[in-house]
Amino acid sequence: MTSLDLSTDRPARRHSLSLSIGLALVGLNVVVAILTLFWTPYDPLNASGGRLEAPSLLHWVGTDRLGRDYLTQIVIGARTALIVGTGAVAIGASIGVTLGILAAFATRLLDDVMAATLDILIAFPTLLLAMLVVAASDSASLWSAILALGLAISAIVARLTRILAKRVLRQDYIIASRTSGTSWLGVVVRHVLPNIWPTLSVNFALQFGLAVIAEASLSYLGLGAPPPNASWGRLLQEAQGTVYTAPVGAIAPGIALVALVIGMNLLADGLRDVGDPTRGRTR
Amino acid sequence: MSALLSVQGLTVRAGGKTLVSNLSFSIGSGERMGLIGESGSGKSMTAMAVTGLLPANISVTGSIVLDGEEVVGAQDKHLNRLRGVATAVVFQEPLTALDPLMKIGKQIAEPVRRRLAREMGQAPRVAVDREVLDLLDKVALPQPQRIANAYPHEVSGGQRQRVAIAMALACRPKLLIADEPTTALDVTTQAEILKLLDGLVRETGMALLFISHDLPVVAEVVQRVMVLRDGIALEEGAVVDVFANPSHDYTQTLVDAARMFDEALGRTG
Repeated sequence: MTSLDLSTDRPARRHSLSLSIGLALVGLNVVVAILTLFWTPYDPLNASGGRLEAPSLLHWVGTDRLGRDYLTQIVIGARTALIVGTGAVAIGASIGVTLGILAAFATRLLDDVMAATLDILIAFPTLLLAMLVVAASDSASLWSAILALGLAISAIVARLTRILAKRVLRQDYIIASRTSGTSWLGVVVRHVLPNIWPTLSVNFALQFGLAVIAEASLSYLGLGAPPPNASWGRLLQEAQGTVYTAPVGAIAPGIALVALVIGMNLLADGLRDVGDPTRGRTR
Repeated sequence: MSALLSVQGLTVRAGGKTLVSNLSFSIGSGERMGLIGESGSGKSMTAMAVTGLLPANISVTGSIVLDGEEVVGAQDKHLNRLRGVATAVVFQEPLTALDPLMKIGKQIAEPVRRRLAREMGQAPRVAVDREVLDLLDKVALPQPQRIANAYPHEVSGGQRQRVAIAMALACRPKLLIADEPTTALDVTTQAEILKLLDGLVRETGMALLFISHDLPVVAEVVQRVMVLRDGIALEEGAVVDVFANPSHDYTQTLVDAARMFDEALGRTG
Protein backbone atom coordinates (compact mmCIF):
# COMPACT_ATOMS: atom_id res chain seq x y z
CA MET A 1 0.00 0.00 0.00
CA THR A 2 3.02 2.23 -0.02
CA SER A 3 2.53 3.11 -3.66
CA LEU A 4 -0.59 5.04 -2.68
CA ASP A 5 1.25 7.81 -1.02
CA LEU A 6 3.33 8.34 -4.11
CA SER A 7 0.23 8.65 -6.25
CA THR A 8 -1.03 11.66 -4.31
CA ASP A 9 0.83 13.83 -6.76
CA ARG A 10 -0.26 13.09 -10.26
CA PRO A 11 2.71 12.63 -12.57
CA ALA A 12 3.35 15.96 -14.21
CA ARG A 13 2.30 15.79 -17.82
CA ARG A 14 5.39 16.19 -19.87
CA HIS A 15 5.13 19.12 -22.12
CA SER A 16 4.78 17.54 -25.50
CA LEU A 17 7.02 18.83 -28.26
CA SER A 18 4.79 17.49 -30.99
CA LEU A 19 1.86 19.31 -29.41
CA SER A 20 3.71 22.63 -29.51
CA ILE A 21 4.84 22.27 -33.11
CA GLY A 22 1.46 21.00 -34.21
CA LEU A 23 -0.31 23.85 -32.43
CA ALA A 24 2.03 26.38 -34.03
CA LEU A 25 1.55 25.06 -37.57
CA VAL A 26 -2.21 24.59 -37.34
CA GLY A 27 -2.62 27.81 -35.35
CA LEU A 28 -0.75 29.82 -37.98
CA ASN A 29 -3.00 28.34 -40.61
CA VAL A 30 -6.15 29.18 -38.68
CA VAL A 31 -5.03 32.75 -37.95
CA VAL A 32 -4.12 33.34 -41.59
CA ALA A 33 -7.39 31.80 -42.78
CA ILE A 34 -9.44 34.03 -40.49
CA LEU A 35 -7.39 37.06 -41.49
CA THR A 36 -8.24 36.54 -45.16
CA LEU A 37 -11.88 37.15 -44.32
CA PHE A 38 -11.02 40.78 -43.56
CA TRP A 39 -7.80 41.54 -45.30
CA THR A 40 -5.52 40.13 -48.00
CA PRO A 41 -2.17 41.55 -49.12
CA TYR A 42 -3.57 42.32 -52.58
CA ASP A 43 -6.80 41.92 -54.51
CA PRO A 44 -6.90 38.18 -55.24
CA LEU A 45 -8.77 38.60 -58.53
CA ASN A 46 -6.86 41.42 -60.24
CA ALA A 47 -3.29 41.83 -61.39
CA SER A 48 -1.11 43.77 -59.02
CA GLY A 49 2.25 43.38 -60.73
CA GLY A 50 4.04 41.97 -63.76
CA ARG A 51 3.55 38.39 -64.92
CA LEU A 52 5.51 35.66 -63.14
CA GLU A 53 7.55 38.06 -61.07
CA ALA A 54 10.18 36.55 -58.80
CA PRO A 55 9.76 36.98 -55.03
CA SER A 56 10.42 40.57 -53.95
CA LEU A 57 9.61 42.90 -51.08
CA LEU A 58 6.37 43.89 -52.79
CA HIS A 59 5.36 40.36 -53.70
CA TRP A 60 6.90 37.96 -51.15
CA VAL A 61 6.21 34.87 -53.19
CA GLY A 62 6.09 36.56 -56.59
CA THR A 63 3.14 36.77 -58.97
CA ASP A 64 1.32 34.27 -61.14
CA ARG A 65 0.82 34.12 -64.91
CA LEU A 66 -1.84 36.81 -64.82
CA GLY A 67 0.22 39.08 -62.57
CA ARG A 68 -1.80 38.41 -59.41
CA ASP A 69 -0.01 38.34 -56.08
CA TYR A 70 0.87 34.75 -55.25
CA LEU A 71 0.92 35.10 -51.46
CA THR A 72 -2.67 36.33 -51.55
CA GLN A 73 -3.69 33.21 -53.45
CA ILE A 74 -1.92 30.95 -50.95
CA VAL A 75 -3.43 32.54 -47.83
CA ILE A 76 -6.89 32.23 -49.37
CA GLY A 77 -5.99 28.63 -50.18
CA ALA A 78 -5.34 28.13 -46.46
CA ARG A 79 -8.94 29.13 -45.79
CA THR A 80 -10.20 26.68 -48.41
CA ALA A 81 -8.06 23.88 -46.97
CA LEU A 82 -9.36 24.50 -43.44
CA ILE A 83 -12.98 24.62 -44.56
CA VAL A 84 -12.60 21.39 -46.51
CA GLY A 85 -10.74 19.57 -43.73
CA THR A 86 -13.10 20.69 -40.97
CA GLY A 87 -16.24 20.14 -43.02
CA ALA A 88 -15.25 16.71 -44.28
CA VAL A 89 -14.17 15.51 -40.83
CA ALA A 90 -17.34 16.93 -39.24
CA ILE A 91 -19.54 15.07 -41.71
CA GLY A 92 -17.42 11.94 -41.53
CA ALA A 93 -17.31 11.97 -37.72
CA SER A 94 -21.02 12.52 -37.17
CA ILE A 95 -22.12 9.86 -39.63
CA GLY A 96 -19.24 7.50 -38.86
CA VAL A 97 -19.42 7.55 -35.06
CA THR A 98 -23.21 7.13 -35.11
CA LEU A 99 -23.05 4.17 -37.49
CA GLY A 100 -20.12 2.61 -35.65
CA ILE A 101 -21.83 2.80 -32.26
CA LEU A 102 -25.05 1.40 -33.71
CA ALA A 103 -23.13 -1.46 -35.32
CA ALA A 104 -21.35 -2.23 -32.06
CA PHE A 105 -24.70 -2.57 -30.29
CA ALA A 106 -26.55 -4.24 -33.15
CA THR A 107 -27.50 -7.90 -33.33
CA ARG A 108 -25.08 -10.29 -34.98
CA LEU A 109 -26.76 -10.28 -38.40
CA LEU A 110 -27.16 -6.51 -38.67
CA ASP A 111 -23.61 -6.01 -37.43
CA ASP A 112 -22.24 -8.36 -40.09
CA VAL A 113 -24.19 -6.57 -42.81
CA MET A 114 -22.93 -3.19 -41.65
CA ALA A 115 -19.33 -4.40 -41.35
CA ALA A 116 -19.40 -5.86 -44.86
CA THR A 117 -20.94 -2.68 -46.32
CA LEU A 118 -18.27 -0.57 -44.65
CA ASP A 119 -15.52 -2.82 -45.96
CA ILE A 120 -16.84 -2.45 -49.49
CA LEU A 121 -17.06 1.32 -49.11
CA ILE A 122 -13.52 1.50 -47.77
CA ALA A 123 -12.21 -0.73 -50.56
CA PHE A 124 -13.44 1.97 -52.96
CA PRO A 125 -10.66 4.55 -53.35
CA THR A 126 -11.58 7.78 -51.54
CA LEU A 127 -10.57 9.95 -54.45
CA LEU A 128 -12.56 7.91 -56.95
CA LEU A 129 -15.61 8.05 -54.69
CA ALA A 130 -15.17 11.80 -54.32
CA MET A 131 -14.81 12.23 -58.09
CA LEU A 132 -18.02 10.28 -58.63
CA VAL A 133 -19.97 12.42 -56.17
CA VAL A 134 -18.57 15.66 -57.60
CA ALA A 135 -19.27 14.50 -61.15
CA ALA A 136 -22.82 13.49 -60.18
CA SER A 137 -23.63 16.90 -58.70
CA ASP A 138 -24.69 19.62 -61.14
CA SER A 139 -21.61 21.75 -60.84
CA ALA A 140 -18.24 21.26 -59.25
CA SER A 141 -18.24 23.23 -56.03
CA LEU A 142 -16.42 23.29 -52.73
CA TRP A 143 -19.47 21.86 -50.99
CA SER A 144 -19.84 18.81 -53.21
CA ALA A 145 -16.16 18.07 -52.62
CA ILE A 146 -16.63 18.38 -48.85
CA LEU A 147 -19.69 16.15 -48.90
CA ALA A 148 -17.92 13.54 -51.02
CA LEU A 149 -14.84 13.46 -48.79
CA GLY A 150 -17.02 13.45 -45.68
CA LEU A 151 -18.88 10.38 -46.88
CA ALA A 152 -15.65 8.57 -47.68
CA ILE A 153 -14.26 9.44 -44.23
CA SER A 154 -17.45 8.33 -42.50
CA ALA A 155 -16.91 4.74 -43.67
CA ILE A 156 -13.40 4.68 -42.21
CA VAL A 157 -14.51 6.32 -38.96
CA ALA A 158 -17.50 3.97 -38.66
CA ARG A 159 -15.33 0.89 -38.97
CA LEU A 160 -12.85 2.17 -36.40
CA THR A 161 -15.62 3.24 -34.01
CA ARG A 162 -17.31 -0.13 -34.28
CA ILE A 163 -14.16 -2.03 -33.34
CA LEU A 164 -13.20 0.33 -30.52
CA ALA A 165 -16.72 0.41 -29.10
CA LYS A 166 -17.00 -3.37 -29.19
CA ARG A 167 -13.81 -3.64 -27.22
CA VAL A 168 -15.03 -1.18 -24.60
CA LEU A 169 -18.44 -2.85 -24.38
CA ARG A 170 -16.85 -6.13 -23.32
CA GLN A 171 -15.31 -4.54 -20.23
CA ASP A 172 -16.64 -5.28 -16.76
CA TYR A 173 -17.25 -1.64 -15.99
CA ILE A 174 -19.87 -1.52 -18.72
CA ILE A 175 -21.66 -4.49 -17.17
CA ALA A 176 -21.24 -2.93 -13.72
CA SER A 177 -22.73 0.28 -15.03
CA ARG A 178 -25.58 -1.61 -16.69
CA THR A 179 -26.34 -3.57 -13.52
CA SER A 180 -26.60 -0.33 -11.61
CA GLY A 181 -29.31 0.70 -14.06
CA THR A 182 -27.54 2.99 -16.54
CA SER A 183 -29.46 3.15 -19.79
CA TRP A 184 -28.13 2.24 -23.23
CA LEU A 185 -27.58 5.87 -24.15
CA GLY A 186 -26.05 6.62 -20.77
CA VAL A 187 -23.45 3.92 -21.28
CA VAL A 188 -22.58 5.32 -24.70
CA VAL A 189 -22.22 8.90 -23.51
CA ARG A 190 -20.55 8.24 -20.18
CA HIS A 191 -18.29 5.29 -20.90
CA VAL A 192 -18.02 4.33 -24.56
CA LEU A 193 -17.40 7.74 -26.13
CA PRO A 194 -14.82 8.96 -23.57
CA ASN A 195 -12.93 5.68 -23.84
CA ILE A 196 -12.77 5.58 -27.61
CA TRP A 197 -12.18 9.33 -27.98
CA PRO A 198 -8.35 9.31 -27.60
CA THR A 199 -8.01 6.90 -30.52
CA LEU A 200 -10.80 8.49 -32.54
CA SER A 201 -9.46 12.02 -32.25
CA VAL A 202 -6.09 10.96 -33.59
CA ASN A 203 -7.87 9.34 -36.50
CA PHE A 204 -9.91 12.50 -37.09
CA ALA A 205 -6.73 14.54 -37.39
CA LEU A 206 -5.29 11.97 -39.77
CA GLN A 207 -8.46 12.11 -41.86
CA PHE A 208 -8.32 15.90 -41.77
CA GLY A 209 -4.88 15.79 -43.37
CA LEU A 210 -6.01 13.26 -45.94
CA ALA A 211 -9.09 15.35 -46.76
CA VAL A 212 -6.92 18.42 -47.34
CA ILE A 213 -4.69 16.42 -49.68
CA ALA A 214 -7.70 14.86 -51.42
CA GLU A 215 -9.26 18.28 -52.00
CA ALA A 216 -5.97 19.50 -53.47
CA SER A 217 -5.99 16.46 -55.74
CA LEU A 218 -9.57 17.13 -56.82
CA SER A 219 -8.76 20.79 -57.54
CA TYR A 220 -5.63 19.72 -59.38
CA LEU A 221 -7.81 17.58 -61.61
CA GLY A 222 -10.28 20.43 -62.06
CA LEU A 223 -12.98 18.82 -59.92
CA GLY A 224 -12.63 21.07 -56.92
CA ALA A 225 -13.84 24.56 -56.29
CA PRO A 226 -14.15 26.54 -59.54
CA PRO A 227 -11.50 29.22 -60.27
CA PRO A 228 -12.34 32.32 -58.25
CA ASN A 229 -11.84 30.19 -55.11
CA ALA A 230 -8.14 29.74 -54.64
CA SER A 231 -7.11 26.21 -53.70
CA TRP A 232 -3.62 24.87 -53.22
CA GLY A 233 -4.34 22.04 -55.62
CA ARG A 234 -5.37 24.44 -58.36
CA LEU A 235 -2.35 26.66 -57.70
CA LEU A 236 -0.13 23.62 -58.13
CA GLN A 237 -1.88 22.73 -61.36
CA GLU A 238 -1.54 26.28 -62.72
CA ALA A 239 2.12 26.40 -61.76
CA GLN A 240 2.79 23.16 -63.60
CA GLY A 241 3.37 24.84 -66.95
CA THR A 242 5.79 27.40 -65.58
CA VAL A 243 7.60 25.21 -63.05
CA TYR A 244 10.98 25.82 -64.74
CA THR A 245 10.64 29.56 -65.19
CA ALA A 246 8.99 30.27 -61.83
CA PRO A 247 9.57 27.27 -59.51
CA VAL A 248 8.41 29.17 -56.45
CA GLY A 249 4.83 28.97 -57.74
CA ALA A 250 4.89 25.19 -57.37
CA ILE A 251 7.00 25.05 -54.21
CA ALA A 252 5.04 27.55 -52.11
CA PRO A 253 1.59 25.88 -52.16
CA GLY A 254 3.31 22.53 -51.74
CA ILE A 255 5.00 23.68 -48.57
CA ALA A 256 1.76 25.18 -47.26
CA LEU A 257 -0.05 21.90 -47.87
CA VAL A 258 2.60 19.75 -46.21
CA ALA A 259 2.90 22.13 -43.25
CA LEU A 260 -0.83 21.96 -42.50
CA VAL A 261 -1.02 18.19 -42.83
CA ILE A 262 2.05 17.54 -40.69
CA GLY A 263 0.91 20.15 -38.17
CA MET A 264 -2.45 18.44 -37.83
CA ASN A 265 -0.86 15.02 -37.28
CA LEU A 266 1.55 16.37 -34.67
CA LEU A 267 -1.29 18.16 -32.92
CA ALA A 268 -3.28 14.93 -32.74
CA ASP A 269 -0.31 13.05 -31.40
CA GLY A 270 0.30 15.65 -28.73
CA LEU A 271 -3.34 15.87 -27.76
CA ARG A 272 -3.53 12.14 -27.27
CA ASP A 273 -0.56 12.20 -24.92
CA VAL A 274 -2.08 14.98 -22.86
CA GLY A 275 -5.68 13.76 -22.96
CA ASP A 276 -5.23 10.22 -21.72
CA PRO A 277 -4.72 10.09 -17.93
CA THR A 278 -3.57 6.47 -17.97
CA ARG A 279 -0.60 7.26 -20.16
CA GLY A 280 1.16 9.19 -17.44
CA ARG A 281 1.99 5.97 -15.66
CA THR A 282 3.91 4.33 -18.50
CA ARG A 283 6.37 7.16 -18.73
CA MET B 1 -42.38 -14.27 3.12
CA SER B 2 -41.79 -14.54 -0.58
CA ALA B 3 -38.24 -14.94 -1.82
CA LEU B 4 -36.27 -11.96 -3.09
CA LEU B 5 -34.81 -14.04 -5.88
CA SER B 6 -36.43 -17.19 -7.10
CA VAL B 7 -34.84 -19.18 -9.90
CA GLN B 8 -36.87 -22.04 -11.38
CA GLY B 9 -35.58 -24.47 -14.00
CA LEU B 10 -32.96 -22.06 -15.31
CA THR B 11 -31.25 -23.36 -18.44
CA VAL B 12 -28.60 -21.40 -20.31
CA ARG B 13 -27.48 -22.48 -23.76
CA ALA B 14 -24.88 -21.04 -26.10
CA GLY B 15 -23.88 -22.39 -29.48
CA GLY B 16 -25.53 -25.79 -28.94
CA LYS B 17 -23.83 -26.27 -25.59
CA THR B 18 -25.74 -26.30 -22.34
CA LEU B 19 -23.92 -24.17 -19.80
CA VAL B 20 -26.45 -24.31 -17.00
CA SER B 21 -29.19 -26.89 -16.89
CA ASN B 22 -32.40 -26.92 -14.93
CA LEU B 23 -31.10 -24.95 -11.99
CA SER B 24 -33.47 -23.96 -9.20
CA PHE B 25 -32.80 -22.03 -6.03
CA SER B 26 -34.10 -19.08 -4.11
CA ILE B 27 -32.73 -16.40 -1.85
CA GLY B 28 -34.84 -14.69 0.77
CA SER B 29 -34.20 -11.06 1.64
CA GLY B 30 -31.18 -10.66 3.85
CA GLU B 31 -30.08 -14.21 3.15
CA ARG B 32 -26.49 -14.98 2.18
CA MET B 33 -26.00 -17.76 -0.31
CA GLY B 34 -22.92 -19.14 -2.01
CA LEU B 35 -22.54 -20.73 -5.42
CA ILE B 36 -19.42 -22.84 -5.66
CA GLY B 37 -17.85 -24.89 -8.38
CA GLU B 38 -14.79 -24.93 -10.60
CA SER B 39 -14.19 -22.75 -13.64
CA GLY B 40 -16.78 -23.29 -16.35
CA SER B 41 -19.32 -24.77 -13.97
CA GLY B 42 -21.84 -22.08 -14.85
CA LYS B 43 -21.57 -19.93 -11.71
CA SER B 44 -21.00 -16.63 -13.47
CA MET B 45 -23.51 -17.50 -16.19
CA THR B 46 -26.14 -17.91 -13.50
CA ALA B 47 -25.26 -14.55 -11.98
CA MET B 48 -25.36 -12.77 -15.34
CA ALA B 49 -28.69 -14.41 -16.13
CA VAL B 50 -30.11 -13.01 -12.90
CA THR B 51 -29.22 -9.46 -13.99
CA GLY B 52 -30.55 -10.17 -17.50
CA LEU B 53 -27.24 -9.09 -18.98
CA LEU B 54 -26.26 -12.15 -20.97
CA PRO B 55 -25.39 -11.43 -24.61
CA ALA B 56 -28.21 -11.91 -27.11
CA ASN B 57 -26.61 -15.03 -28.62
CA ILE B 58 -26.97 -16.92 -25.34
CA SER B 59 -30.42 -18.38 -24.80
CA VAL B 60 -31.98 -18.42 -21.37
CA THR B 61 -35.05 -20.48 -20.49
CA GLY B 62 -36.82 -21.12 -17.24
CA SER B 63 -37.89 -18.48 -14.80
CA ILE B 64 -36.02 -15.93 -12.74
CA VAL B 65 -38.20 -13.83 -10.49
CA LEU B 66 -36.27 -10.99 -8.92
CA ASP B 67 -38.05 -8.76 -6.43
CA GLY B 68 -41.37 -9.88 -7.84
CA GLU B 69 -40.47 -9.27 -11.49
CA GLU B 70 -39.76 -11.84 -14.17
CA VAL B 71 -36.29 -11.31 -15.67
CA VAL B 72 -36.21 -13.97 -18.40
CA GLY B 73 -37.52 -12.52 -21.64
CA ALA B 74 -38.13 -9.08 -20.12
CA GLN B 75 -37.54 -5.91 -22.13
CA ASP B 76 -34.27 -4.11 -21.51
CA LYS B 77 -36.13 -0.93 -20.62
CA HIS B 78 -38.07 -2.78 -17.97
CA LEU B 79 -34.94 -4.43 -16.59
CA ASN B 80 -33.15 -1.10 -16.34
CA ARG B 81 -35.60 -0.02 -13.65
CA LEU B 82 -35.01 -3.28 -11.80
CA ARG B 83 -31.24 -3.15 -12.00
CA GLY B 84 -29.64 -1.13 -9.33
CA VAL B 85 -32.83 -1.16 -7.25
CA ALA B 86 -32.86 -4.91 -6.86
CA THR B 87 -29.30 -5.98 -7.68
CA ALA B 88 -25.76 -4.77 -8.07
CA VAL B 89 -22.66 -6.74 -8.99
CA VAL B 90 -19.08 -6.80 -7.75
CA PHE B 91 -16.70 -8.42 -10.21
CA GLN B 92 -13.61 -10.54 -10.01
CA GLU B 93 -11.15 -8.18 -11.69
CA PRO B 94 -11.17 -4.76 -10.02
CA LEU B 95 -9.04 -3.21 -12.76
CA THR B 96 -11.58 -3.75 -15.52
CA ALA B 97 -14.58 -3.10 -13.29
CA LEU B 98 -13.85 0.63 -13.24
CA ASP B 99 -13.83 3.00 -16.20
CA PRO B 100 -10.15 3.90 -16.64
CA LEU B 101 -10.92 7.40 -17.89
CA MET B 102 -13.34 8.50 -15.20
CA LYS B 103 -12.45 9.76 -11.77
CA ILE B 104 -13.52 7.39 -9.01
CA GLY B 105 -15.80 9.92 -7.34
CA LYS B 106 -17.63 10.53 -10.60
CA GLN B 107 -18.14 6.81 -11.18
CA ILE B 108 -19.71 6.34 -7.76
CA ALA B 109 -21.75 9.55 -8.11
CA GLU B 110 -23.66 8.17 -11.10
CA PRO B 111 -25.63 5.44 -9.30
CA VAL B 112 -25.96 7.70 -6.23
CA ARG B 113 -27.52 10.45 -8.33
CA ARG B 114 -29.91 7.99 -9.93
CA ARG B 115 -30.99 6.62 -6.58
CA LEU B 116 -31.48 10.04 -5.00
CA ALA B 117 -33.46 11.19 -8.03
CA ARG B 118 -35.61 8.10 -7.71
CA GLU B 119 -36.15 8.39 -4.00
CA MET B 120 -36.49 12.12 -3.51
CA GLY B 121 -37.27 13.31 -7.00
CA GLN B 122 -34.09 15.37 -7.11
CA ALA B 123 -30.36 14.92 -6.68
CA PRO B 124 -28.65 18.09 -5.47
CA ARG B 125 -24.91 18.10 -6.06
CA VAL B 126 -24.01 18.65 -2.43
CA ALA B 127 -26.04 15.64 -1.32
CA VAL B 128 -24.51 13.45 -4.04
CA ASP B 129 -20.98 14.50 -3.13
CA ARG B 130 -21.56 13.89 0.56
CA GLU B 131 -23.02 10.47 -0.17
CA VAL B 132 -20.04 9.55 -2.37
CA LEU B 133 -17.59 10.43 0.40
CA ASP B 134 -19.75 8.54 2.90
CA LEU B 135 -19.62 5.45 0.71
CA LEU B 136 -15.85 5.65 0.30
CA ASP B 137 -15.59 5.98 4.05
CA LYS B 138 -17.92 3.03 4.54
CA VAL B 139 -15.68 0.72 2.53
CA ALA B 140 -12.80 1.81 4.77
CA LEU B 141 -10.82 3.76 2.19
CA PRO B 142 -8.40 6.25 3.70
CA GLN B 143 -8.68 9.91 2.63
CA PRO B 144 -11.99 9.57 0.74
CA GLN B 145 -11.55 13.04 -0.75
CA ARG B 146 -8.29 12.10 -2.40
CA ILE B 147 -9.57 8.74 -3.67
CA ALA B 148 -12.65 10.44 -5.13
CA ASN B 149 -10.37 12.67 -7.17
CA ALA B 150 -8.10 9.86 -8.34
CA TYR B 151 -8.31 7.79 -11.50
CA PRO B 152 -8.62 4.00 -11.07
CA HIS B 153 -5.03 3.34 -12.12
CA GLU B 154 -3.76 5.57 -9.36
CA VAL B 155 -4.98 3.36 -6.50
CA SER B 156 -4.05 -0.21 -5.55
CA GLY B 157 -5.91 -3.37 -6.52
CA GLY B 158 -7.44 -3.84 -3.10
CA GLN B 159 -8.58 -0.22 -3.04
CA ARG B 160 -10.09 -0.58 -6.51
CA GLN B 161 -12.11 -3.53 -5.26
CA ARG B 162 -13.30 -1.40 -2.35
CA VAL B 163 -14.32 1.27 -4.83
CA ALA B 164 -16.19 -1.36 -6.86
CA ILE B 165 -18.01 -2.42 -3.69
CA ALA B 166 -18.82 1.21 -2.91
CA MET B 167 -20.29 1.55 -6.42
CA ALA B 168 -22.44 -1.52 -5.87
CA LEU B 169 -23.56 -0.22 -2.47
CA ALA B 170 -24.39 3.17 -3.97
CA CYS B 171 -27.50 1.61 -5.47
CA ARG B 172 -28.60 0.22 -2.09
CA PRO B 173 -29.53 -3.03 -3.79
CA LYS B 174 -31.66 -5.65 -2.12
CA LEU B 175 -29.37 -8.34 -3.52
CA LEU B 176 -25.64 -7.99 -3.95
CA ILE B 177 -24.05 -10.37 -6.43
CA ALA B 178 -20.35 -10.88 -5.76
CA ASP B 179 -18.70 -12.75 -8.62
CA GLU B 180 -15.40 -14.06 -7.23
CA PRO B 181 -14.69 -10.69 -5.64
CA THR B 182 -11.47 -11.82 -3.99
CA THR B 183 -9.93 -14.11 -6.60
CA ALA B 184 -7.74 -11.46 -8.20
CA LEU B 185 -6.40 -10.21 -4.88
CA ASP B 186 -3.54 -11.36 -2.69
CA VAL B 187 -4.31 -13.31 0.47
CA THR B 188 -4.08 -10.44 2.97
CA THR B 189 -6.23 -8.15 0.85
CA GLN B 190 -8.64 -11.04 0.29
CA ALA B 191 -9.21 -11.37 4.01
CA GLU B 192 -9.78 -7.64 4.36
CA ILE B 193 -12.27 -7.48 1.50
CA LEU B 194 -14.14 -10.51 2.83
CA LYS B 195 -14.39 -8.96 6.25
CA LEU B 196 -15.61 -5.74 4.70
CA LEU B 197 -18.23 -7.46 2.54
CA ASP B 198 -19.39 -9.58 5.43
CA GLY B 199 -19.72 -6.56 7.69
CA LEU B 200 -21.52 -4.47 5.10
CA VAL B 201 -23.98 -7.22 4.20
CA ARG B 202 -24.86 -7.78 7.85
CA GLU B 203 -25.08 -4.06 8.56
CA THR B 204 -27.31 -3.15 5.61
CA GLY B 205 -29.31 -6.36 5.72
CA MET B 206 -29.08 -6.94 2.00
CA ALA B 207 -29.07 -10.42 0.53
CA LEU B 208 -25.85 -11.78 -0.95
CA LEU B 209 -25.19 -14.18 -3.78
CA PHE B 210 -21.55 -15.04 -3.41
CA ILE B 211 -19.82 -16.85 -6.25
CA SER B 212 -16.48 -18.51 -5.72
CA HIS B 213 -14.43 -21.65 -6.23
CA ASP B 214 -12.73 -21.15 -2.91
CA LEU B 215 -14.47 -23.18 -0.21
CA PRO B 216 -12.97 -21.56 2.89
CA VAL B 217 -13.84 -18.14 1.50
CA VAL B 218 -17.43 -19.14 0.83
CA ALA B 219 -17.78 -20.79 4.22
CA GLU B 220 -16.80 -17.55 5.90
CA VAL B 221 -19.47 -15.31 4.45
CA VAL B 222 -22.55 -17.33 3.56
CA GLN B 223 -25.21 -19.32 5.33
CA ARG B 224 -26.34 -21.59 2.54
CA VAL B 225 -24.35 -23.01 -0.33
CA MET B 226 -25.02 -24.71 -3.64
CA VAL B 227 -22.42 -26.82 -5.42
CA LEU B 228 -22.37 -26.64 -9.21
CA ARG B 229 -20.57 -28.81 -11.72
CA ASP B 230 -20.96 -28.57 -15.48
CA GLY B 231 -24.05 -26.46 -15.00
CA ILE B 232 -25.79 -29.00 -12.80
CA ALA B 233 -26.58 -28.45 -9.14
CA LEU B 234 -25.06 -31.34 -7.18
CA GLU B 235 -26.21 -30.41 -3.74
CA GLU B 236 -27.53 -27.58 -1.67
CA GLY B 237 -27.82 -26.88 2.02
CA ALA B 238 -26.49 -25.04 5.03
CA VAL B 239 -22.76 -24.43 4.86
CA VAL B 240 -22.07 -26.46 7.96
CA ASP B 241 -23.96 -29.51 6.70
CA VAL B 242 -22.59 -29.46 3.18
CA PHE B 243 -19.00 -29.12 4.22
CA ALA B 244 -19.17 -31.48 7.19
CA ASN B 245 -21.19 -34.23 5.52
CA PRO B 246 -20.98 -33.85 1.78
CA SER B 247 -23.60 -36.06 0.18
CA HIS B 248 -21.97 -36.01 -3.22
CA ASP B 249 -18.54 -37.36 -4.16
CA TYR B 250 -17.65 -34.18 -6.01
CA THR B 251 -18.29 -32.01 -2.97
CA GLN B 252 -16.20 -34.45 -0.94
CA THR B 253 -13.39 -33.99 -3.45
CA LEU B 254 -13.64 -30.22 -3.16
CA VAL B 255 -13.65 -30.35 0.62
CA ASP B 256 -10.71 -32.76 0.65
CA ALA B 257 -8.76 -30.62 -1.74
CA ALA B 258 -9.35 -27.53 0.36
CA ARG B 259 -8.35 -29.40 3.51
CA MET B 260 -5.18 -30.74 1.91
CA PHE B 261 -4.30 -27.28 0.75
CA ASP B 262 -4.81 -25.92 4.22
CA GLU B 263 -2.69 -28.64 5.75
CA ALA B 264 0.04 -28.02 3.23
CA LEU B 265 0.00 -24.37 4.26
CA GLY B 266 -0.02 -25.33 7.91
CA ARG B 267 -3.41 -23.70 8.47
CA THR B 268 -6.02 -25.35 10.63
CA GLY B 269 -9.73 -25.67 9.97
